[in-house]
Amino acid sequence: MAIPLDLLPTTAAPSADSAVVVRSLRWHAYAAVFAAACVMTGVYWDISWHMSIGRDTFWTPAHLLIQAGGLIAGLSSGYVALTTTFLGTDAERQAAVSVWGFRAPLGAWTCVWGCVAMLTSAPFDNWWHNAYGLDVRIISPPHALLAIGIFSIVVGALLLTLAQQNRAVGADRRRLAWLLAATGGFLLMNIALFLTEYSERRMMHGATYYYVTALSFCMALSMLGRAIKLRWSATASAALFTTFMLLLMWTIELFPATPKLGPIYQHLTHMVTLSFPPLIIVPAFFIDLVMHRFEGKLGTLPLAAIIGPTFVVAFVAAQWPFASFLVRSPLARGRVFNADNYVYWMSPTYEALTKRFDPPSAWPIGAHLAIIAVIAILMSALGLVRGDWMTRVRR
Amino acid sequence: MKRVAGLAFAALVWLVASAHIGSPNVVFDGVAGPYPIRVVVRPPQVVPGLAEVIVRADAPDVQRVSIRPVFWRAGVRGAPSGDVLSPVPGQSRVYTGQLWLMAYGAYSVYVSVNGPRGSGTAIVPVSSFATGRLALPTGLGAILVVLGSLLVGGLLTIVHAAAGESLVAPGETPTAAVKRRARLVTLVAAPILALAIAGGAKWWSAEDLAYRGHLYASPKADAEFSVDAHHRTLRLTIRDTAQFHAIFSPVLPDHGKMMHLFLVGRHGAQTLVHLHPLQADSLVFTTEVPWIPAGRYLLFGDLALENGLGLTVTNSIDVPAAPGDVTPTDSDDTWDRTASLTQLAPNVVRPLAGGVFTMSWAGGETPLAARSPVDLRFVVRDTSGNIVPLHPYLGMAAHAVVVGSDGSVFVHLHPMGTFPMAAQEAFALRDRGDTNRAGRLNTALLTAGDMAAMTMPGEFSFPYEFPKAGHYRLWVQVKPGDRVLTGMFDVDVR
Repeated sequence: MAIPLDLLPTTAAPSADSAVVVRSLRWHAYAAVFAAACVMTGVYWDISWHMSIGRDTFWTPAHLLIQAGGLIAGLSSGYVALTTTFLGTDAERQAAVSVWGFRAPLGAWTCVWGCVAMLTSAPFDNWWHNAYGLDVRIISPPHALLAIGIFSIVVGALLLTLAQQNRAVGADRRRLAWLLAATGGFLLMNIALFLTEYSERRMMHGATYYYVTALSFCMALSMLGRAIKLRWSATASAALFTTFMLLLMWTIELFPATPKLGPIYQHLTHMVTLSFPPLIIVPAFFIDLVMHRFEGKLGTLPLAAIIGPTFVVAFVAAQWPFASFLVRSPLARGRVFNADNYVYWMSPTYEALTKRFDPPSAWPIGAHLAIIAVIAILMSALGLVRGDWMTRVRR
Repeated sequence: MKRVAGLAFAALVWLVASAHIGSPNVVFDGVAGPYPIRVVVRPPQVVPGLAEVIVRADAPDVQRVSIRPVFWRAGVRGAPSGDVLSPVPGQSRVYTGQLWLMAYGAYSVYVSVNGPRGSGTAIVPVSSFATGRLALPTGLGAILVVLGSLLVGGLLTIVHAAAGESLVAPGETPTAAVKRRARLVTLVAAPILALAIAGGAKWWSAEDLAYRGHLYASPKADAEFSVDAHHRTLRLTIRDTAQFHAIFSPVLPDHGKMMHLFLVGRHGAQTLVHLHPLQADSLVFTTEVPWIPAGRYLLFGDLALENGLGLTVTNSIDVPAAPGDVTPTDSDDTWDRTASLTQLAPNVVRPLAGGVFTMSWAGGETPLAARSPVDLRFVVRDTSGNIVPLHPYLGMAAHAVVVGSDGSVFVHLHPMGTFPMAAQEAFALRDRGDTNRAGRLNTALLTAGDMAAMTMPGEFSFPYEFPKAGHYRLWVQVKPGDRVLTGMFDVDVR
């Protein structure tokens, strides 16, 4: 039976003033979501650039897109803070929060903070490269700061849209909820990109992959499932995440590229993109089902106790056989499933390793999955608490 | 001169370097096809990092100079396309550019020159290792602290707003309960944030520690003597001293020798022994140590590896007294001991073999400049003042050894440059696919250095770049007659 994507009922009637504010600051929410889209596309493109071409400058298109996203979010939020503080109407000022004497929506401050964090990471990263060498890794302290800045911009976009959604009604709320689902998709993308080094295909029959997935995606999906005013909110966010990732994967790999750094072990002729995205849409769907059945009937912890194991079972059931297909099937090697996305520096020895799964750890996978389920319960509880807070954000 | 003569080599802190000790820059003099070139490669301190390359192409018809970084394992096929060098403004026929060294180990810079007479390529071996650690500049540290404080303060304020005011409907005033909750959440967030910052600092420290583990340190030669009536045998066992192992490829003969071992007298440093140990096992070498008196010596051993890497192993050893005459292991073993020292200065002349020959400095003004390419140019003459032809010694017209007064610099030079010739040959052999069935280099094709029948001009120079200002001692070895003679000079570098 097809279940239509629909809105949950409105829980509070907004005031006329706040409706005015909704309209007057709508552009800012769109700008922040656009900035998040720029940043996430830029990050994906940049990783792909490093996988394929290697050599970069400050001025690569991917870097420019990231910087543009950061600046759009930061500057637009700074503008909103200044105009709201000094030129805003009473309604606009009342729909804002105070930070160091200035007033702006909470999401604007988060975007400004993210922009400052990104700016701070730039000289730190530059020094890091000079001190420890150009890192070809994603996870390093300055990159972590950059990632936190980027994450904050996505969260800022989420909060700006959220405040608008929570104050809107009817079709307007539905539109904003979809915008929120898209922003949630960027949030999931942010997580997926940061976890790239723990998400190699060869790791997908090992415990580590499922630990990091439970730690991150389970919380995010629980949060989005509760915060977005769509009936299939987690599914919608996961579907948009999958769509963004696949669109970028299938588009960027069409462009020709040759490595500009050596040693080159893979003689590429086109851009290499990230692997097929994780099938988190499956656990997202089941999280939505659980929410439909139990939301409002169970407290946070009992609900999390159902969502956590549901997430683990659904994700393992989907990803485990899909990983077998990606690693072992020749059909997976091609532009559709992208299982032959070898970076230029991948030696033949390492390439051989990618065609089989990592050896299992000392503990049986079942024991790990039991621990992972407990972690998923805790993460889900955190996500639900966060989601609950998000439903109450008004400014 | 006395000051230099009294130089003590006591504080031996071996500074990290690549093929040599404390002298990582590579200088090459040779040809690329029909075009004579000089190449200077200044490797980065960190890997991956940018190497600076300077090429002087003296031929007037050179049209284009390009460079490619070739990693030993991947070969030319695995090298990125070449980068065209840019002419240096204000300097005729000098080109410069940068290239990325991405991996640890043996690289070669392939320098290609194009012109109307065709094109040619020269192979310049370079070692790629992390050799230093950059401290955080105070200014940058201050900026990061200010921005970090701003971020921490901002984040706590945002958390306060998120837990309080943001949850109040527009137009309503936060109640006392809301304010209390906001304060409580901020109080909880503060230590969590502090923990996160402490975790970040710990992560940074761990990364720094891991990086130090990848820093290159010269391998050590553990020395052991066995002495009897006619033997004073030195057994050297080579081992890596750093967590990162540089030796992961078999040793390759260079000029037909498995190792070029230099012992430098530690007090006064007037003694130099140049020996050629035999390879007893993959990293074990033995040699007789003739001639020299007992005492403490600095040991420097040059090795070339099959992957094209040049390494210098070091130690400080106590040589025991020899009870009787000791016969050298290799016919090319040589030594020199003198009480007199010659300060390098324009037209200074050093007598060789009791005045049968002379070696004079022809390199121009002194003191020499640090961190800039110089020609250590000498002329060997007979008693009539005529320039004498030289017999090749180990395949070269001359060999030179440079040792810094504090022991932090050691380099073995040839007229073609600062790198082992075997390293260059290893790259060329691998490019041609000259490997045996096991995939190892076909070492039978290496130049053995046996060119005794030919002669070379008695005027020669060593291209070099002193790494820093200071006092150096320079030994120059030539073979004008039937035996190897050594000229010794003290050099001031500013």
